Amino acid sequence: MSDSEASRTAAEGADTSSPSTPDISPDVAPTRKARRKPAAKPEAEAEETPAKTPDESTVSQGGWGYWGSWGKSILTTATATVATVGQGLTQVIEKAETSLGIPSPTELSARVPAEQKQEGESSSQAEGAASDGSSAVGSAMGMFSSLTNVVQTTGKTVITGGLDALEFIGKKTMDVIAEGDPGFKKTKGLMNRNATLSQVLREAKEREELQTAEEESSDSEKKVVAHYGMMFDEFQGLSHLEALEILSRDSESKVKSVLMTLSGDERVQLRDELDRIKESFSMVEFDDEEVDENKDEDGSEFERDLMEALEGLSVSATADKLCKACQDTCSTVRDMNKPQRDEDDDEELTKTHSVEEIHAAAIRSLAELTARSIELFHKLAEMILFSNGSTEAGVLSQLTVVLCKELSLLSKKFTSCLTTAGSTEKGDVLNPLITGVFLEASNSASYIQDAFQLLMPILEISHIQRRAGPSEQ
Amino acid sequence: METIWLYQFRLIVIGDSTVGKSCLIRRFTEGRFAQVSDPTVGVDFFSRLVEIEPGKRIKLQIWDTAGQERFRSITRAYYRNSVGGLLLFDITNRRSFQNVHSWLEEARSHVQPHSIVFLLVGHKCDLEAQRQVSQHEAEKLAGAYGMHYVETSARDAINVEKAFVELTREIFELVRSGDIKIQDGWEGVKSGFVPNTVHSSEEVTKGSRQCFC
Repeated sequence: MSDSEASRTAAEGADTSSPSTPDISPDVAPTRKARRKPAAKPEAEAEETPAKTPDESTVSQGGWGYWGSWGKSILTTATATVATVGQGLTQVIEKAETSLGIPSPTELSARVPAEQKQEGESSSQAEGAASDGSSAVGSAMGMFSSLTNVVQTTGKTVITGGLDALEFIGKKTMDVIAEGDPGFKKTKGLMNRNATLSQVLREAKEREELQTAEEESSDSEKKVVAHYGMMFDEFQGLSHLEALEILSRDSESKVKSVLMTLSGDERVQLRDELDRIKESFSMVEFDDEEVDENKDEDGSEFERDLMEALEGLSVSATADKLCKACQDTCSTVRDMNKPQRDEDDDEELTKTHSVEEIHAAAIRSLAELTARSIELFHKLAEMILFSNGSTEAGVLSQLTVVLCKELSLLSKKFTSCLTTAGSTEKGDVLNPLITGVFLEASNSASYIQDAFQLLMPILEISHIQRRAGPSEQ
Repeated sequence: METIWLYQFRLIVIGDSTVGKSCLIRRFTEGRFAQVSDPTVGVDFFSRLVEIEPGKRIKLQIWDTAGQERFRSITRAYYRNSVGGLLLFDITNRRSFQNVHSWLEEARSHVQPHSIVFLLVGHKCDLEAQRQVSQHEAEKLAGAYGMHYVETSARDAINVEKAFVELTREIFELVRSGDIKIQDGWEGVKSGFVPNTVHSSEEVTKGSRQCFC
């Protein structure tokens, strides 16, 4: 089953599983703009209890959404909507999982030890491709299952890693969730919670390391493991994210205390100005434009877009790193595609890259690019804070769009690579790998969009400082 | 069965601009000397495992801060979650030595309510001819603030391991004795994990295939 087929099946699954949907209008995607709009009084809203809006959650699920909608974070999406959409969700998950071979989080945790046992047995007989495949499934789902575990152990209101798979499988479903989602509140909720995003991710990563340790101790031969979370950390993505969170929180409390010192008209005026900044953060549309996977073969187009978005922001060194990572990824993809071209001439060449290798390369590339993107946002935050220049939110949202598009493009390149290389593989070997790539691409987009949101208080405090004039500095 | 790492310590490296913080860290984490390097903006990150006793590995997460004054308001925010740090000065630059006191004050006030273990490092000790700060003088200052003192050179790879390992040991002892406690919401010290042995009844493999560096 190819990737597009997989999506279609999932789409059908999503349709049939929610018969209560009153109106199906597949081409009208509810935009992020619409959802994020209630941004006017975030502080007040954040304190409210999650709105119970069961009606809302089942209304329009029309449209396939777009990268941005399904690329939303497990964390940001999860806060308020769990209770309201829970039921429909389970159905969809079941449908999607049966059609795509994704184990449910609960099933998964039970399956992993079983697989390990199975592998132990089968390896004594022969090195079956099947057992290799299942180990890759386990690792592809590493982040996925560990996040679930985090949820179970901490009891936090995170909708569980399952949502991520869902985001990929049924964008429609995501829109259902999104409808009941109080938009901006989620992000505020995220920031106000005790656990920060990077903390939760760290926990997830630690679970993953533990899992690896367990896997390795039971099977020393396994070495093609692709752990997104660990790689993301290896590229210092978590550290940059944490540092960005620190700056964001500090700025947020500074903004608050400045507002406290003002009174009357002054306060109203500043609030208005800050609201305008907030607005530009909530109005971002992450384009639904179809990405042609054949374009930008060497990453030069991305580089041009990136440089354009970053013009005048003096973070060239970090941007260079990102471009380099992107070029490397593009050449990796090119190399992996090569053997397939002369398939007819020399049959042996086709086996040059196994699907597991391609999968591992894909996960690694996604992790690196995401880490570099977070680094870029972190450096931007630092530059904005200490240079006193004005940075427009529009520039930053443009940057976010460019980055998310690139991730989307790359995940498509890798999955088509997988599809070609795995044409002889069974569906239950190939599909989970493809799912894994999309899953982590979805994670990647989530991190980047969350990082973008973290910049908001930084622009606010920068605005306040600029407003106060140079004497303040 | 071995642990991957027992603890993770977060260390911060501070000191005047151009004393060689990034070079020292890169020598330690990458094993090479970077001849030219741009000034650090804000903070950068490095990590490495060290084995302080056979089989006992500590993961060091190193925050490399910008020394330039203009970044100070930003770098201050980063101190909070560190359990320890290297405070560098350049032995050929007297001013960088004179600033040690203010660096220490600043760091200690910003890690509140936690405390932080510092090691004083006199860097660029390969440049003996240009020395402006004597070893005796530096040791005296370190002693006054309850720190140990090490002289290092990233270029000639002198005492680089020693500096990091010594600090790591010192922190490890404090953790072991309970003077430093792991706390929720504080990233200074994190506990590692012992791989679960339940699933590996048939064959226990030796050595670690895990490498973080």
